Amino acid sequence: MRRGATVMLARAALLLGLLAAWEAGGRAANPLLTVPPSAVLPALWDLVRLRSYPDLAASLLLTLREIAAAYGLAVLAGLGCGFTLAFNRLVGRAYGPILAALYAVPAVVWYPSLMLFFGLDAASKIAFGFLLGFFPVTLAVLAGIRQVNPQLVIVARSYGAGPLTVFARVMVPAMLFTLVGGLRTGLALSVIGVIVGEILGSKAGMGALINHAYGLLRTADYVALVLVTLVLVVGSDVVASLAERRARRWTE
Amino acid sequence: MTAPSQLIAIEGVTKRYATSSGPIEALHDVSLAVGAGEFCTLIGPSGCGKSTLLGMLGGLTAPDGGRVLVEGAAVTGPDPRRVATVFQDPGLFPWRTTLENVEFGLELQRVPKARRRQAATELLGPLGLRGFADKYPRELSGGMKQRVAIGRALAIDTKILLMDEPFGALDEQTRVLMGEWLLDIWRRTRKTVIFVTHSLHEALFLSTRIAVMTARPGRIKTLLELGHRYPRAMESAEMVALRARLWGEIREESLRAMQ
Repeated sequence: MRRGATVMLARAALLLGLLAAWEAGGRAANPLLTVPPSAVLPALWDLVRLRSYPDLAASLLLTLREIAAAYGLAVLAGLGCGFTLAFNRLVGRAYGPILAALYAVPAVVWYPSLMLFFGLDAASKIAFGFLLGFFPVTLAVLAGIRQVNPQLVIVARSYGAGPLTVFARVMVPAMLFTLVGGLRTGLALSVIGVIVGEILGSKAGMGALINHAYGLLRTADYVALVLVTLVLVVGSDVVASLAERRARRWTE
Repeated sequence: MTAPSQLIAIEGVTKRYATSSGPIEALHDVSLAVGAGEFCTLIGPSGCGKSTLLGMLGGLTAPDGGRVLVEGAAVTGPDPRRVATVFQDPGLFPWRTTLENVEFGLELQRVPKARRRQAATELLGPLGLRGFADKYPRELSGGMKQRVAIGRALAIDTKILLMDEPFGALDEQTRVLMGEWLLDIWRRTRKTVIFVTHSLHEALFLSTRIAVMTARPGRIKTLLELGHRYPRAMESAEMVALRARLWGEIREESLRAMQ
C-alpha cells in the first residue's frame, strides 16, 4: 500500500517536473514552433467544444472504425495463419521462417505501395494497421503452441480426449497467456499502423487533422489533437491489459 | 487363476522403435496375464520396455505383434471406461484447481456438473487433500500433486489403474508414505493395479505379484507371487530373503543393460 503510494508520487513528480520544464522552455522559444502547456489547455478546450475542428467527432469515429477493421482482420488472419503453420508440419517448416524474416522488415517500407494499391481513403490505413497487427498475433500462436506441455496432451488423450477436445481443453488454455499477450501487442501495433497511415497521407481521420494543424503551424491545436489521440491509444491498451490480467488469473 | 477370469491378457507382444542408428527391439514376445484385484508390479532395468508395455495397456501405444486384451477385447485406443493411467509426471492442468483437475475425466464423460463435483469432493478426504480443493497445482507439494493425479484417475472409477513410476520424482520419505497411502487406497477400492517402478521396496511392499523384466529387448524373466497378505513386515526373514532374490534377478539384468 505504502509502496504503491510512493510509486504514484514519483510518477506525479516526474509529470510535474516535465510540465514545468516544458512551460519554461516553451515560453522562451519561438511561439510558432513550441507552445507551453498553458497555451495547450485553451486549445484543448476549443477542440473538445468542436470550435477549432468541427469534424473532430467524425474523424475520431473514422479512426476508431479503421482500427477496429484492421485489428479484426489481423486477429482473424493471425489466428488462422498461426494455427495452420503450427498444425501442418510441412507448411510450418516451409513458411514459418519466411514469416519471421518478413516481421523483421520495417513495415513502413510497404506503406507507399499500400497507398498506391488501396488509395488514399480508409482501405490503405486498414491494410497498414492489419499488416502491423497480423505478425504479433501469428507469432504468438506459434510461440504459444510450442509452450504447451506435451505431457498434458498425453494425459488428456488417456482420458479419451480426441483432437478437438485436446485443442479446446488443453492447447487453448495452456497457450492463452502467450496468446493474449500477442493479441495485446497486435492491438497496439494496429492502432499505430492506422494512425501512422493517416499521418503519412489521408483526407480524413485523426491523423489527417494532426497533419492539418501541423502543416499550418497551429502548434497548440496540434498538441491538443495529439493529446486526444493519446487518450485513444492509452484507452485501447488499458482495455487490452485488463483482458490480459484476466487471462493471467486463471493461467499459471 | 484360470484363463477366462483374467482381466488383462498380454499375448506374445513385440514392439520395435525406429531410431537414427537403426531399429531397436523394445519388447520381445512378452506374455502376461493379470487377474482382477491384483497389484502387479513391473520392475526391470531402464529401457526394458516397462513403460511401453503400460502404454499398450492404456491404448497410447500399439504393439507391432501379438495382442493386448482387456476383459477379452483387444485394446485399440484409450478406453477411460475401463482403464485409467497415472504417469510419473503428474501432468496436472495448471489452470485448474485441485477439484477441477480431479473432475477432468468425468467432465470428458459428460457427467453432469453437480454429480462430478460431488464425486470429486468425496475423493478429497481419502486423498488427504481436504482444504486444498481450490488450490492450483503450483501451490501444492510434489506428493500432493501426485495424489491429485491419482484422484483424477480414481474419479472415473475404472476397474484397472495403470501407474507408471508414480512416485519416481518424489523424495525418499514422501515416497514411502505415498506407498503406504496407496496400499490403503488400493485395498479399499479393490482395483486391479499395474505398477511400474524401479524401487525394490515399493515392489515388495505393495505387490501381490512382481514381474521382473529382462534388459532390452524386454521379456518377462521371472514372476514372483507374494499373495494378498498385508501389511508386509519388511524386516521379516521371509521378506529379506525375497528382497535378496529380487535384487539378484534385477542386478543381473541391470548389468547387462549397462554393457
